[in-house]
Amino acid sequence: MNPFVFHTPTRVYFGEESATSCGDFILELGGSRVLLVSDAFLEKSGMLAPIIESIIAATGNPPLIFTDVPPDSDISCVNRASELARANQCNALVAVGGGSVIDTAKVVNICLTFGGELMDYQGLNIIDRPLLPLVAVPTTAGTGAEVSFVAMVKDHDEGKKLMFGSPFLAPNVAVLDPLLIVSLPARLTAATGIDAVTHGIECFVASGTNSVFTNAICLEALRLLFEFLPQATVDGTNLEARGATLAASCMAGVAFTNSGVGITHALAHSVGAKYATHHGMTNGVLLPHGMRFNLATTAPQYARIARFLNFTSGGSDAEQAQILVDRVENLLKELKLPRTLRELGIPELTADNLKELVDMASSDPAIMFNPKEASDDDLLQLLKGAY
Amino acid sequence: MAVFADTDELHHVMVDLWTAIQSDAEMAAPLLSSRLIVTFHYREPDGRLTVDCSDGREMVITAGECERKPVVEMFMKSSVAHEFWMGKVNVPMALIQGKIVAKGPVNKALALLPAIKPAYGIYPSIIEKNGLKVSTT
Repeated sequence: MNPFVFHTPTRVYFGEESATSCGDFILELGGSRVLLVSDAFLEKSGMLAPIIESIIAATGNPPLIFTDVPPDSDISCVNRASELARANQCNALVAVGGGSVIDTAKVVNICLTFGGELMDYQGLNIIDRPLLPLVAVPTTAGTGAEVSFVAMVKDHDEGKKLMFGSPFLAPNVAVLDPLLIVSLPARLTAATGIDAVTHGIECFVASGTNSVFTNAICLEALRLLFEFLPQATVDGTNLEARGATLAASCMAGVAFTNSGVGITHALAHSVGAKYATHHGMTNGVLLPHGMRFNLATTAPQYARIARFLNFTSGGSDAEQAQILVDRVENLLKELKLPRTLRELGIPELTADNLKELVDMASSDPAIMFNPKEASDDDLLQLLKGAY
Repeated sequence: MAVFADTDELHHVMVDLWTAIQSDAEMAAPLLSSRLIVTFHYREPDGRLTVDCSDGREMVITAGECERKPVVEMFMKSSVAHEFWMGKVNVPMALIQGKIVAKGPVNKALALLPAIKPAYGIYPSIIEKNGLKVSTT
C-alpha cells in the first residue's frame, strides 16, 4: 500500500432542520458576533430566516448579513464582506449557499483572522494556524466546498483565479440540511450533482494520492449519486433523494480534498475561466472524454467502480471500465445536461482560443493528480472532441 | 543525518544544478518564456535560492538574499529538495502533506515541472561533484 495522509477537520451534521442549530454550533466554537455570508436569492426566499433566528437565540446578537456574493465570487466581494465584518468586530462566520458563497466566506475568514494583504496568503499551505470559526451550510449538492481545504475567487483586474489552499481553510462545521435544497431547480440539481460524480470518479483514480479511505468514500458517494441524483432532479421534494445527494456530495468533497481530482477538472477550470460556463455542467461535458483518455491506465479502477455499482456481471477490466463510461454518458442524458462544449454556449474555438485553454489546463494544479500524463496535444484533442 | 552539512554546501549544489539547467537550451527555454521569478526557501540547513527568468533571455541565479521580489515562493526542508531532484518526491502528495509550501500563483510554477524533469538525471553527478552521497535520506 502506498503511503497516504487522510484527514477531515470538519464536523458534519446531517438532518432535516439541522440548519436551525447553526447558532449552537457558533456558540460552541466560541463565536458571538457572526458574519452571515449568503446570496441575494436565498435572502429573498426567506431561507435564511430560521438560521438568523438560531444565531440570535444562541449568541444574543443578530448576525451581520452580507448577501452580495455573485455566482463566481471575486476579490472585491471578499474585500467588501471583510470590511463589514471588521467594522462590526465579527468573530465567527456562517456561510449559507453554494460553492461561491462558501469559498467567499473562507477567504473572508483569512482577511478577518490575519488582516494584512490577502495576496500574502495565496498559494498552498501558507496558512498554518486556525482561523475564526466557520460554519458552512451548503444549498447545492455538488461542490463539496463545505469540507474542502481550498477556496478560489476571481481577480477580475488581473483576469485570473486566485487559489488558497490549507487544511485550516476547511469549515469547522458543515451542516447538511436537505430541506434547504428542495427548491433548487432541476437543471442546477443535475449540474451540481454531476460535479460531485466527477469528484468521485476522478478522486478514485487520482495518481499516488488516493487511499483506502478515499476509495471507500468515493464508492459509496458514487452509489448514492447514481441512484438518487436522477430522482432528486425529477422530484426536488423527494427528501430521501435530496438527502442522499447532499451527503454524497459532501463525501466526495472529503475524498477529493484529500486526494485531488484530475484532467476533467483541469479542463473544466480552463473552460470556465475563459467562457464563464457553469462548473458542474462543464465537468459533465468533459467527464466522458477525460475518462476515455485515462481508460488505458485506469481500467482496473473504473471496472471496480462498475462492479460496486452493479453495472456489470463480468467481463474484462477494459469491458467493465467501458460500461462505466457508458453509464456516465447515460446519466448525463437522463439528467438532460449539455453533452458538448457547443451546447454550453461556447463559440467556435479558434486555434488561439484552443491554445489558451490548453495552456491554462496544463498549468492547473488538478492535472498533477491525473493518473495519466497529458501532453498539450492530448489536451487539444480532448477539447476538440468535446466541442 | 542531513544531506547538506551547512548552508554553503546547499547553496553550492543548488547553484551548480541551476547553472546546468540554464546551460541546457531545452530546459531553459520554457523557464525563460515563463518570465517567472521563483525563490526557494530551504530549512535544515537554512538556505535561499532565487531563479530570475524575468527578462526572458537570461536566467539569473542568486544564492542567499536577493533584491528581486519573487512571483512564486516555495518553502521546504533541504532534504525534501534533495529528494525532489533525485526524482523521488511525489509532488501532489508532498503538497497534500504540507511538506512543500507554495506561495503565490502556484499554477505558474507547477506548469514548469515537466520542463525541469530532465534535471533529475543531472543532479546525482552534481551531488557527487560536490563530494556528497547520492543516496536518499
